[in-house]
This record gives sequence, structure tokens and C-alpha cells, in this order.
Amino acid sequence: MNIQEYIESGILEEYALGVLNEVERAEVERIAREHPEVHRELQQVISGLDAYAEAHAVTPPADMRERVLQGWQQAIRNTAEQEKLIQTADVPASAPLMTASASPTTPISGSDGAVVRQLSAPQEAPSRLKWLIAASVALLLLSGLGNYLLYSRLQETEANLEVAQTAQSRYAATQQAALNERDQQLAVLRSADFRPVELKGTPKAPEALARVYYNAKTNAVYVDVRNLPAPPAGKQYQLWALDNGKPVDAGMLASATAAGDSIQQMKDIASAQAFAMTVEDAGGVPSPTMSTLTVIGNL
Amino acid sequence: MLPVSATTPESAALETEVLLVQRLRDRDEGAMTIFYDKYSAALYGVILRIVKKEEIAEDVLQEAMVKIWHSFPSYDAEKGRLFTWVMNVCRNLAIDKIRSRQYRVGSRTQPIEESAALRQAAEPSFRPEHIGLQEMTNQLNPEQRQIVDLLYFGGFTQSEVAEELNLPLGTVKTRARAAIKVLSKLIR
Repeated sequence: MNIQEYIESGILEEYALGVLNEVERAEVERIAREHPEVHRELQQVISGLDAYAEAHAVTPPADMRERVLQGWQQAIRNTAEQEKLIQTADVPASAPLMTASASPTTPISGSDGAVVRQLSAPQEAPSRLKWLIAASVALLLLSGLGNYLLYSRLQETEANLEVAQTAQSRYAATQQAALNERDQQLAVLRSADFRPVELKGTPKAPEALARVYYNAKTNAVYVDVRNLPAPPAGKQYQLWALDNGKPVDAGMLASATAAGDSIQQMKDIASAQAFAMTVEDAGGVPSPTMSTLTVIGNL
Repeated sequence: MLPVSATTPESAALETEVLLVQRLRDRDEGAMTIFYDKYSAALYGVILRIVKKEEIAEDVLQEAMVKIWHSFPSYDAEKGRLFTWVMNVCRNLAIDKIRSRQYRVGSRTQPIEESAALRQAAEPSFRPEHIGLQEMTNQLNPEQRQIVDLLYFGGFTQSEVAEELNLPLGTVKTRARAAIKVLSKLIR
């Protein structure tokens, strides 16, 4: 093995940074044991990083000392209690208790006089202890079940949330599109270039009412239905522009337009003095059926 | 059982460390107070630098002490200093903390330069051989410092750093080596 190459491979730095797995670590340690150069280099890398760490030292606030030491002691007590319970569970009831625990009972005293007192170990009778263990186990099982239930509820909630969020964003996108369309329509209605033309009902349908917006500059035609009788099945309303008395096809009204749900842009019309609508076969016809004339109006 | 003939600060420090290791191995709880007084500034400084929030740094330090106590039997003094070992325990816990999901929200984008750790002065009398942060980082060029910080405080591997900085892996390795070399020269 080329030692120099190994040193320069960066693996010693990774060892010192703690990013290697156990097998890789063992390998570095083995090579360092066998090759003094590697060992020396590794020590340098480690002490360099240690020094860098030390350079960042920040003295913690004074009141933190007691909190951390107390919290630490509490934590190791809790673990010790648990271990003790597990150990005693394996021991026959007649065996003397607490033999396994050899922890010292001296209180930890700090230089500032703060004393962290040790919690006294419980002195339970064996039968009570058995009950205690049984109760603990039951509690643990219950808590496990509770956790499981809460976890599945959480999963369900998260899934629901995801569905709701997808639905919400889809709704927002639809609304945005609708809003854009309305804005466009509003621009038409507000534009001074569009002239509104009231189309009133003929005696055949006196309640019928519609409005055409006509832009003579751009030739654009929009239709806005207020009230039209529903056309018979297979029939559609057709808009006509009358230019010097001659009817010109201006397009078919979509069913939503005929129902008054939205305004619709029709075919461009170069010139017109009046507009009218007739009921025609779906798809439209080349010339209007005068008997079905429903609304008409002059510019 | 230990020679009491130490005269230099280094050997005195080493002796305290050997004694401390012995007491920890004997499960002497009082040793943890000494441990705190000896190492808390260095450990807290690095943890704070990683997690950036004082309350979280405190929690991580306490958690680390519990872990150090419980896994102390796995510490092998032959393999390295106690300081190196405990520093790695703290660093790993702190890095795990910032990688946990809840912590990522909102904190990830905070630049490392804005951390509370940098705004606080390091304790100058921490150790006799202590070298100031300023002095040390002045010896590194900005590229080297960035890489060392990502590796040491960010928990990145060298390949991850290469990806993050959009550099060839070889360049990252060379810079990391050069940077660590500078650091280790400073302490001799």
C-alpha cells in the first residue's frame, strides 16, 4: 500500500470528523497501528480539529450549570430505576433486593455551593414490587397501544391534509382562471369602444331579453343573455347581424350563454345596424328561420 | 497509582484527564461535575455554533452528558483523548438535532455567520494553550474556512461538501487537508 497516497486520500480527515462507519473506522485504526506515519498524521488531524473546536469555546451562563447537572442526574436516575425494575423482575422473590445497584449516594456538590440531592431509592416489599412491575407492564402496553392509535390517527390526518391541500390548490387554480375570464369580460363591458345593443323579445317571447356588445373598430361581438326561453331539444339559439337588412351569421350561443351564466364572444362582424336571434337546429343554418325570431334590437 | 510529578501545564492537564477518566469508569457521579467545569465551555461553544439557539444548546449539552455517562464503557483511552471523544458525541447530537425535521423548518436558511456563537466572545482564560478563534481563523483562507466549517459544524461528508459548493471532490479533499494542516500547526 502506498502510505503517502493513503494519507492524501482524505480518509484520515473523515475519520477525525466522525463520518466513517464502524468498519471503515476499524480499518483506519488498524492501518494507523501498523504505519507510524499514518498514526502521526492522524494524530495531527485530530489535534487540529480539537484545537478548532476549543477555539469556539463559549462559557455557558452561570445558572446553566446547576440546571444541566440536575437534569443529567435526573435522567440517569430514571434509567437506573428502569434497569433496576427489569433486573428485579428476573430475580426470585426471596432474593435480597438492590444487590445489583452499587451506585454511590454522595451528593454532588458544586464549587458555588449548589447541591444536587440524590433521589432516595424506593424500599418496596417484594409483593408490592411485583404489583408495581405488573402495573408498569400494563401501563407500558396501554401506552404502546395509545401510541399506536395516535400514530395511525396522525397518519390518517396527514393523508387527509394532503388531499385537502391538493383539492384546495386545484380550486384556487380554477378560481384564478375564472377570475381572469371575468376580468376580460369586465374590460369589454367597460370599454368605450363597445356599444351595447338591447335585444328585446318578440311577441312570441315577450319576456326574452339579451344584450349584444359590438365594437365597430375591432369587429368584436359579445353576447350577454338576461332571459331566454330554453330551446327545444336539438335546437340552439343563433345570433344574426343585420347589415342593410341582410342577415349575417354571428355564431351559435353555447348553452351556458343561453342560460345567462356567462357572456360569450361571437363571430366578428364587419358592419351591422341590428342584431337578432332565432332558434335553429344545433350547429346553425345559413339563413334564419324567421318564424323562430325570439329577440331583436337596433344599434 | 498515578505519578504526582507533573510540572508542565500539559502534563498536569493530561493527569486531570486520566484521573477524570478513571472516576467516570468507576461510575463516580461526582466526576460529572468536574467534567462539566472542565469541558462545558468548549462543548457548549461548538454545540451553540451548530444549533444556534441557546436553549437548544443547553438541551443538547445535557443530553450529551447523559449519553457520555451511559456509553462511557465504550470509550477507549488508547484510541484518543477524552476531549476528542466527548466533542464528537456532542457534535453528532447537535448535528442530528439540526437535521431533525422540526428543526429544519425556518432555521436551515440562516447563514452560519449570523449565529449567536460568533457574536459572543470566547472565554480567553479557558485553557493556558488556548488559541483565540480570530487568530486561528485568520490563518485559514476563506475557502478553507468554509470547507472546515461545513465538515465540522455542518456534519457534511467531503462528497456532500463537493456537491454543495459545486467543486470537484479532489479539490474539497485538498482544501480540507490543507486547512486541517494549518490548524494542527498552530497548536504546536
